[in-house]
Amino acid sequence: MGVKELVLKYNVVGIISNYESTFKFDGLVKDLKINNLENALKMVNLDNSILDKKMSGLSLNELWKLELASKLNNNIIVVGNLSKFLNYKDILYFQKLFIKLVEYNKKIVIIDNDVKVFFNLVKKIIVLENNKIAYITDNFYDDNLYKYTRMPKIIEFIKYVNSEDDILNETLDIYELIKDIYRRVS
Amino acid sequence: METDVTIISTNISNDILNNYQDYVLVKDLSKLLSYQKVIFFLTLDHKSEREVLEIYKLLKENNIKYINITNNIEHVLLTKYLKVYDKEKVLIEGNTIEVLKNTKLLKRLGLEIPFMVDLSLLLKDYNLVNDIFLDKEDLVDYLWE
Repeated sequence: MGVKELVLKYNVVGIISNYESTFKFDGLVKDLKINNLENALKMVNLDNSILDKKMSGLSLNELWKLELASKLNNNIIVVGNLSKFLNYKDILYFQKLFIKLVEYNKKIVIIDNDVKVFFNLVKKIIVLENNKIAYITDNFYDDNLYKYTRMPKIIEFIKYVNSEDDILNETLDIYELIKDIYRRVS
Repeated sequence: METDVTIISTNISNDILNNYQDYVLVKDLSKLLSYQKVIFFLTLDHKSEREVLEIYKLLKENNIKYINITNNIEHVLLTKYLKVYDKEKVLIEGNTIEVLKNTKLLKRLGLEIPFMVDLSLLLKDYNLVNDIFLDKEDLVDYLWE
């Protein structure tokens, strides 16, 4: 099965790879050809004050959001580099937005080198190397995944604790981890 | 600026670079040792902490000052000084651990806390530890032995 088939099969797919944006425009934001621009801006958490700004004067964070706004009408929405251009709060916001978009029959493809971006969101993680599938998994605790990318600290910690004996439950949520440690220690 | 710094920002922008015009923006790591003061702008974000530490070690050995502007929150622990920007304005700066203790402010700004600091502070709320552990082995030893 190739990447296209996997993307069509699952609603949200995470791809570990580098992402080069092709989104380029030199004029004012209000001149961007985006259907229902003001509504699209609202969806990506930007306000109308951005409309009269030049694209060249925007932050990387704002550019990322505008790129997503330009894709909201696509049936398959491909976004990349969340970990590079968004802060943590933004990432949580867009994770929720992606789940909403799936309810409108959109398919979401997220390309990033940071697995944490995919937490609680994707059904399949695909590793691409030189445009070919190098590995596929649906398990964030799969050791083989981390031959290709950095292991998130929470997984690294739980794996370390469990290396001698399975003490802690595998979780992606620090609050669940804290509760588990509290139960085990006390 | 005398010390080596990590910068995190709520809305990372090229404009930050205007504050550090005496630093040379590193785009090509192979030219790293050609300058006296270097600044990284998201350049090191996808590198492992080990790789970043190796780069820092190389810079130290060659007396090169460095600033790392990053969105990788774990990298803030690799320098002792941290600056937090909101757009072009410095909101808080100082000793990295002391700055990171302002968890309410940082989270309100939309920023994450490095995992070991966050974990230690939460465990502290449960009275399971009384300090911040940056090393997972030290924390596990403390909790279970």
